[in-house]
Amino acid sequence: MGEYALLYILFAPFAGALALIFVSNRQPTLVRGIAASAAFVSLVASLYIFYGYDPVQGGFQFVQKFPWSKELGIALYLGVDGIGTPLVLASSILLFAGIFVSWHIKDRAKEFYIWLLILAAATIGVFMSLDLFFLYFFYEMSVIPMYLLLGMWGSHTKKYLEMTDPEGLKQRDSVGFIFNFGSNSKEYAAMKLVLFLSAFAVAALMGILLIYKFSGLNTFDILVLREQANLMNIPVLGTTLDKIIWILVFFGFASIAPIWPLHSWSPVGHAAAPAATSMLHAGVLMKLGHFSIIRVAFEILPETTRELMPIAAVLCMFSIIYGGFVAFYAKDTKYVIGYSSSSHMGYVFLGMAALNYISLSGAVIYMFAHAMATGMLFAMAGWVYDQTHTRDIPSLGGLSNKMPFISGCFIVGCMASIGMPGTVNFVAEIMIVVGSWNKYPLQVIVAMLGIVLTLAYLFKMMRGLFYGPMNQKYSHAHDAVGTVDRLPLLMMITISIGFGIFPMHLYEVVRSGVDPLIARITQVVPVAEGDEGLRRMKGEVKIGEYPALPMVSSKPITQVSEASRGGQE
Amino acid sequence: MSFTLNLSFSDLLLLLPEIFLTCWLCVVIIVDFVSPRLPKERLAYLSVGGLLATLGCLAWFDVNQVSGTLFGNMFVLDRMAIFFKIFILGSTILVILASIEYVDRFTLFRGEYYVLVVMSALGMMFMASANDLLSVFVSLEFSTLGFYILVSYLRDDLASNEAGLKFFILGVFAAGLFAYGISLVYGETGKLVFSEMASAPVTPGLIIGFLLIFAALGFKIGAVPFHSWIPDTYHGAPTPVTAFLSIAPKGAALAIMLRIFLVALGTFKPTWIYLLVAVSIVSMTYGNIVAIAQRNIKRLLAYSGIAQIGNVLIGLAAGTKMGNDAILFYLLAYLFANIGAFAVVIAVSQAIGRDEIEDYRGLGRRSPFLAFSMLLFLLSLAGVPPLAGFIGKLYIFVAAIKEGLYTLITVGLINIVISMYYYLIVVKQMYINEPIDPSPISISGPMKAVIYVGLTGTLVIGIYPQPFTDWVVAATLMFANFMTPAATAIPPSLLVGG
Repeated sequence: MGEYALLYILFAPFAGALALIFVSNRQPTLVRGIAASAAFVSLVASLYIFYGYDPVQGGFQFVQKFPWSKELGIALYLGVDGIGTPLVLASSILLFAGIFVSWHIKDRAKEFYIWLLILAAATIGVFMSLDLFFLYFFYEMSVIPMYLLLGMWGSHTKKYLEMTDPEGLKQRDSVGFIFNFGSNSKEYAAMKLVLFLSAFAVAALMGILLIYKFSGLNTFDILVLREQANLMNIPVLGTTLDKIIWILVFFGFASIAPIWPLHSWSPVGHAAAPAATSMLHAGVLMKLGHFSIIRVAFEILPETTRELMPIAAVLCMFSIIYGGFVAFYAKDTKYVIGYSSSSHMGYVFLGMAALNYISLSGAVIYMFAHAMATGMLFAMAGWVYDQTHTRDIPSLGGLSNKMPFISGCFIVGCMASIGMPGTVNFVAEIMIVVGSWNKYPLQVIVAMLGIVLTLAYLFKMMRGLFYGPMNQKYSHAHDAVGTVDRLPLLMMITISIGFGIFPMHLYEVVRSGVDPLIARITQVVPVAEGDEGLRRMKGEVKIGEYPALPMVSSKPITQVSEASRGGQE
Repeated sequence: MSFTLNLSFSDLLLLLPEIFLTCWLCVVIIVDFVSPRLPKERLAYLSVGGLLATLGCLAWFDVNQVSGTLFGNMFVLDRMAIFFKIFILGSTILVILASIEYVDRFTLFRGEYYVLVVMSALGMMFMASANDLLSVFVSLEFSTLGFYILVSYLRDDLASNEAGLKFFILGVFAAGLFAYGISLVYGETGKLVFSEMASAPVTPGLIIGFLLIFAALGFKIGAVPFHSWIPDTYHGAPTPVTAFLSIAPKGAALAIMLRIFLVALGTFKPTWIYLLVAVSIVSMTYGNIVAIAQRNIKRLLAYSGIAQIGNVLIGLAAGTKMGNDAILFYLLAYLFANIGAFAVVIAVSQAIGRDEIEDYRGLGRRSPFLAFSMLLFLLSLAGVPPLAGFIGKLYIFVAAIKEGLYTLITVGLINIVISMYYYLIVVKQMYINEPIDPSPISISGPMKAVIYVGLTGTLVIGIYPQPFTDWVVAATLMFANFMTPAATAIPPSLLVGG
C-alpha cells in the first residue's frame, strides 16, 4: 500500500471493469461480487489516503509520476492535496454505496457495473490529476459512461415542462427551456447531457491548449505551469489573454458544476438516470466542475481569478434562488433533488468567489458534505421509484407506513441537505456564510433564503412521499430490510453525521490544501479589507517579498497558514 | 535529367518489397488459373501471406534504417515512405481478411478480387515512395485502376455500377487535372522532382499548376470541394472495398501531399496555409453536419471520413514537423478505428443483409461483442478518451496551436461535439433501442480477427501512445528542417544503409 495508494484507488475500478468483461451475466453473484470488491479496494485505499494525508506537511502527497508522452510533454502525474483528498474519498464512498444501491438490477447487470465503475474511476482520476492533459482526459472520459447508463438503464423523464404551482398555474424552467426541445425521453436526456458537457469541455480544452502554447514550457504539468507560466499582460482581441483563458476554463468546467444558466442538462440528466448514476452524478460528477476550476484557473491564473471571480459571485445567486424555486414547484422526486443539487452548487461557487481561507475551505467541505447528503436522497428516491414505479409526488403519499426505515433515513437526508447542526453540511454552510459575509453580504442573504427554500421544498417532498393519505395502488411497496439495502444509506448517514460531530481532521486536511492556494491568489494585492487571514499575513510577511512557492510535498508558506488558522479558531 | 538506368544490386534492395509483391501477385494469379476449384479463401490467405512477408521486409528496413533514392530521385525510400507502406499493407491485410466472407456474394471473378486488391496496394506502395510528379501520376493511376474495377464488383447491383461509373468519370477527370497541373509546373520550372522545385520563383502558371495538382489529390483524399464522389461510391461499392477505399488511398495520397507541401512548397507556406485552412474548415464542418442526416451507416462513415480528412489537414496546415508527426499518428488511429467499424458493418450486413442505421437496433443484445467494438470504434473516431482517436486529435491540435492556428482549432473542437451527436445516434440504436429480431449474430473467424486487431490498436494507442509517437517522430525525421530544401534531399552517400 503506502505510496501506491492512489494507483489502487484509480485502477481498482478499471481492473474490476476489465474483469467483468470476462464474466457472464448468468452469474449475478459473481458480477456483483467483482464490482463490490473493486469498489471496496478503492474505498479502503481512499480511507487510507484520507487518514494518511499529513495536513501539517500539506502540499501534494502520495505523488506518482510516469512519463506518458515525451513529444507532447505529458506524464501520468497523480497526487492529492487537501482539496483532492476529501473528494477522492467522497467518490469512492459513493461508488461503493452505488453498487449496493443498484444491487437488484436485473437487466444486463454486468454492463451496468462496468460503466458505473468506469464512470467512478474517471471522476476519481480527475481529482488526483496533476497534469492538465490527464485532467481533461479523465473529465471527458466520465461523460460517455453517463450516456450509456442513462440510455440503457434510465427511465423516461415525466412532466418536465408541466410543473404547477399551488393555484394550478403551469410553470416551466424557462432558462432550461432554451435548450429543451420538448422531449421527455431518456435518450433525449442522455444526448443533451453528453453534447452539453462535451461542448463546454472543448471550451476548457481550448483554454488548456492556450495555456500550453503561451506558457511555452512544452508541458501540461500543473505544478510546473503554476510556478513558471507567465500568461499575464498578453493583449488579445481587445483584452488580455489570461482573461480569455480564464473565461474559457471557468465556463468550460462550470457547465458541469452546473452554474446558472448552464444548468439545464443537469436536472433532466438526474431524472433520467438510474439511482446509482444519479448519486455519482450529483455527488461527485458535478464537483468535477468546481474542482477543475480550482485546479486549473485558481492554480495557474491566480491574479486573473482574483479579478474575475466576482462573475461567479453574481451567477451563484441565480443558481441558488432559481434552482430552489424550480425544485419547489417540480413534481418529480428526482427533479426536486436534481434542482436542489444545482441550487446547492451555488453555495460552493459563493464560497469559491469570496476567495478567503474560511469560505474556500467551506466550499470544499460543502462539496464533500453535499456528496453524502444528495447521495442519500437519490438512493432513497431510487428505492421509492423501484417500489412504486412512479416519481410523481402528488400521486404518492403515506409511504412511511410501508417503509419506516426509508422514511426515517429520508428525514436525516433532508436534515443533512438543509445543513442541520450535527451534520457535516452545517459545518460547511456556516464556513461559507461566515467567510463570504464581508465581501458578498447580498449573496449571503440570498444563500440564507436558499436555505429556507431548501427547507420548504424538501419538507414538501417528504410530506408528499411519506405522509398524508396513502395511494392504495402502492400498498405492495416494502421497506429496505436486507443488509445490502440498508448498508449504503447507513454508511452515508454515518459519515455525514460523523464528520458533522468530529470535523477536525477533515477541516485540517482541507485547510492544508486551501491555505497555499489562497495565499497565492491574494499575495499581490489585498482582495478585501475585511479579509482577516490576509491581515495576519501582512503582519508576518511583507508583500512582494513573498517566498516562491515550493514544489510538491514541501511546506508551502507554513507560517502564514499557521497564523491565519490561529486567527479563526 | 538523364534517365540512364544504372542499377546496382544493392539499389534493387530498395525496391525489394515492391518486386517481391509483384512476383507474389503473379503467383496468386497463376494459382487461381491453374486450380480453379481451389476454395477462394485459400487465395485470400495466400495473398495475406505475401503481404505479411512484404510487411516483414519493410519492418526490417525500418529497424535497420534502410533508405535511399532510385531512378534519378523519382523513387525515394525514406522512413516516411516505409511508414506509409506499412500503413497501406496493414490496411490491405485487414481488408482482405474482412472480405473473405463477403466475396461469396460476387457471382464471378472471385479469385481476381484478391489480385486486384493486392495490385492496388502495390500501386499505393509506389505512391508512398513517389518523389517526383511523373512517378506520382503513374503510381496514382496504377492504384486507381484496380479501384475502378473493385468498386463496381457487384455486377448485378445497380448501386455498385453507379458507384463505379461515378468514381471512374470523376477519377479520370481528376487525373486529367493532375496531368494538366504537371504540365504547367514542368513548363514553369523545368523540374519534376519535388526537392528540386523548392527554389523555383512564383509565377501564375506555377500557382495554377499546383492548385490543379491539389485538386486531384483532394479528390483522392475526399476533401470538401472535391468530395462529391465519396458518398455514392462508398454506398454502392462492396463494403470491404469501401473500407479499403476509405483508408489506404487516403494514406497514400497524404504521403504525396506531405511531400508536395512540405518539400516542394515548403518555402511558400505563408501562401498555401490559407488554402489548407479553408479546405480543412469546410471539410470538417460539411462532413460532420451532413453526416447527421444520414440513414445509411456506410454513408455516415463516408461523411465522417470527409470530416476526419478535415482534421488531418489541420496538421498539414500547421506545416511543421510536429504537424507531420501528428498526421501520421492520426492516420494510425484512423486506420484501426475505421477498419474496425467497417468490419462490424460487414459482419452485420452478412447477418441482416442491409446496412441502414436502423438495422443496428438492439445490436447490444444480439451481439454484445460487435456492439461493444462498434462503440469503441465510433468513439475513437469521435475522439473520446482513452481511445486512439482522442490522442490523435489532441496531437494535431497541439501541433496546430504551436503554429497559432486558433480559428482552425476552434472549428475542430466544435466539430468534435457535432460528430459526437451522429456517432451517438448509432450507439443509441445499438444499445438503447430494443431489437426487433433478437436472434444472435454469428461472426466468422477472420472477421473476429480483424475486429480484435482494430480493438487492440484503438485501445493500445490510446492508453500507451509512446511507442507509436516515437515511431512517427522517427519516420518524419527527414522533414525536420524541410524549410531549407537542400537538407531534404538524401545525400547519395547514404543510398543504401543497413
